[in-house]
Amino acid sequence: MPRRLSGVGAARATGAGTAVWDGSEPELGDPPAADAVDADAELERFEAARNAAREGLHAERERATDRLDDAEAAVFDAHIQFLADPQLAEGVREGIGDGLPAEHAVNRAFGEFLARFEEMDGRMAERADDLRDVRDRVLRALTGAARDDPADLPAGSVVLAERLTPSDTARLDPDRVAGFATVTGGRTSHAAIFARSLGLPAVVGVGEGLREVAAGTEVVVDGSRGRVVVHPDAATREAAEREEGAEVRAEPVATADGTPVEVAANVGRRADLAAAAEHGADGIGLFRTEYLFVDRASPPGEAEQYDAYREALGAFPDGHVVVRTLDVGGDKPIGYLDLPEEANPFLGERGIRRSLGPDADVFETQLRALLRAAATESGGRLSVMVPLLATVEEVIETRDVMESVAADLGAAGEAYAIPEFGVMVETPAAALLVDALVDHVDFLSLGTNDLAQYVMAAERGNRRVADLADPRQPAVLRAIETAVTAAEGADVRIGVCGEMAGDPELTALLVGLGIRELSVAPTAVPRVKRAVTQVRDDAARDLAERALAADTHQGVLDAICECGE
Amino acid sequence: MPERIVTVVPEDGLHARPGATFVETAAESDADVQVGHAGSDLVNAASMLAVTGLGVERGDEVRVVAEGAGAEATLDELERVLTSPEDEL
Repeated sequence: MPRRLSGVGAARATGAGTAVWDGSEPELGDPPAADAVDADAELERFEAARNAAREGLHAERERATDRLDDAEAAVFDAHIQFLADPQLAEGVREGIGDGLPAEHAVNRAFGEFLARFEEMDGRMAERADDLRDVRDRVLRALTGAARDDPADLPAGSVVLAERLTPSDTARLDPDRVAGFATVTGGRTSHAAIFARSLGLPAVVGVGEGLREVAAGTEVVVDGSRGRVVVHPDAATREAAEREEGAEVRAEPVATADGTPVEVAANVGRRADLAAAAEHGADGIGLFRTEYLFVDRASPPGEAEQYDAYREALGAFPDGHVVVRTLDVGGDKPIGYLDLPEEANPFLGERGIRRSLGPDADVFETQLRALLRAAATESGGRLSVMVPLLATVEEVIETRDVMESVAADLGAAGEAYAIPEFGVMVETPAAALLVDALVDHVDFLSLGTNDLAQYVMAAERGNRRVADLADPRQPAVLRAIETAVTAAEGADVRIGVCGEMAGDPELTALLVGLGIRELSVAPTAVPRVKRAVTQVRDDAARDLAERALAADTHQGVLDAICECGE
Repeated sequence: MPERIVTVVPEDGLHARPGATFVETAAESDADVQVGHAGSDLVNAASMLAVTGLGVERGDEVRVVAEGAGAEATLDELERVLTSPEDEL
């Protein structure tokens, strides 16, 4: 019988294979009697092990630089500094002075700091993972214990572990390992972040249930849904294998009945542009400009932004590029913007509210860059949309700002064009107002992540209410339907750019609801394109009707499941 | 004693690369450097464990104090680390 365990999906990919347990913590026996230990010899052993570990870390950093983003490889810089820490060396020397052999002294010294880190909140759990990783490296150097080299794993293994340290994860080879699942860890753990970077299917934080999965068992790791399926039935396994092997289609796709559906990519950092093109995206359906603004002392200037938008257009010579203006609020600290601390930043001054308020200057600069980019040779494919819209006044005001920016550019003799203009439908207010918004916009884009959160008053990142913040909730589907019907009535394009769009199990439902533009994570493009080609238009409409008729979450899930065959 | 109060810019706060660069700079200096949240206790800036244990995040105000040879130059360098976006380190 298949059994499902749920955790936190780390990378939106699925893999099937045979479970292999990774026991990465070296075992220590009981320490010998104190007078049997030669302190000088132990100190020498410790220094030698520390040197060996340092060399190993430098080598690891080199390898990581080849395979991961630079920022992620930098984790090993921190490890090198942990290893060199004077307090740690002092703790080990004390332990040896107390009559402990080097490995026990190392274990004790690290243990004190581990305990301290684990008591602290927030991201300190990841720092504890870092420290464990360094400790195990020193212990292995001392005990000569060989670590299991993931390169030796049989192809198609699914690695199960209590936790995976950054070193463990960085060594997993996506060509050999089908995925991994861990008992502990959250979405921001190194293991989860590295998995996303490597494109490796992964579910973290599965909990106690994972421990009962024996080595050699067949498992499916479904990173999209945060699920580990033990003893999968043939259908689940085949679906997982199919998903792994989705081919890249560079050309636009249509349903089995010939209805064209655009599958574009969401881009949130510069490297995504190349990834989107490589995975065959038709264009960019959501260009998140935040990455141009974070991690710096002042906002990017007009010229820098102009270059970034032109670069995006250049990456897709035939496709649309939809740029979303800056979307920040109290939960995303950007020093120079002076974002206020708010009791509830998701309901506070964010998105378009800031752009029309305190960040008006930043907004104007961004629009200047966009209007100038729209005037270039390929600029006709550029569109601009604004986030977190809730009122018609906000749209009118935004258009006024755009007109005045255009007038300024014209007066200065700069070439400009007014790009197509759209708004995100991600608040219940916007979904209910689509019939009025259509008079002021060229297109709409459903941000289903936020729409689900706001309709259901439930935060997706909170495990206790994650089931509520699901776009497959009847209330969310009805909000989507209201928006789509109003947009269709006015002949205004409406697409979906939330994670819902990237789930191939929901493609038929979205097409059935009338969606013709999907924007998904770059790596999800091939499987969504394949899902589109398998959609039969009449079956999709029936599915949408049944899903909309369902009054319960389970009812919607059942409707989707029946149609998935 | 020369000191600076600086608002932390890098996204990772004093962890990962910014943390490593900060500690390395302090460790290589001839000056004795201490760091802490503004208004709180200071710790040895040359200890990655101690600095990590502060839990400094982006946007936090930290106080850096240096004493000894090259104290001002060390503080200049540390201030640069604390105020540079991550990809410029």
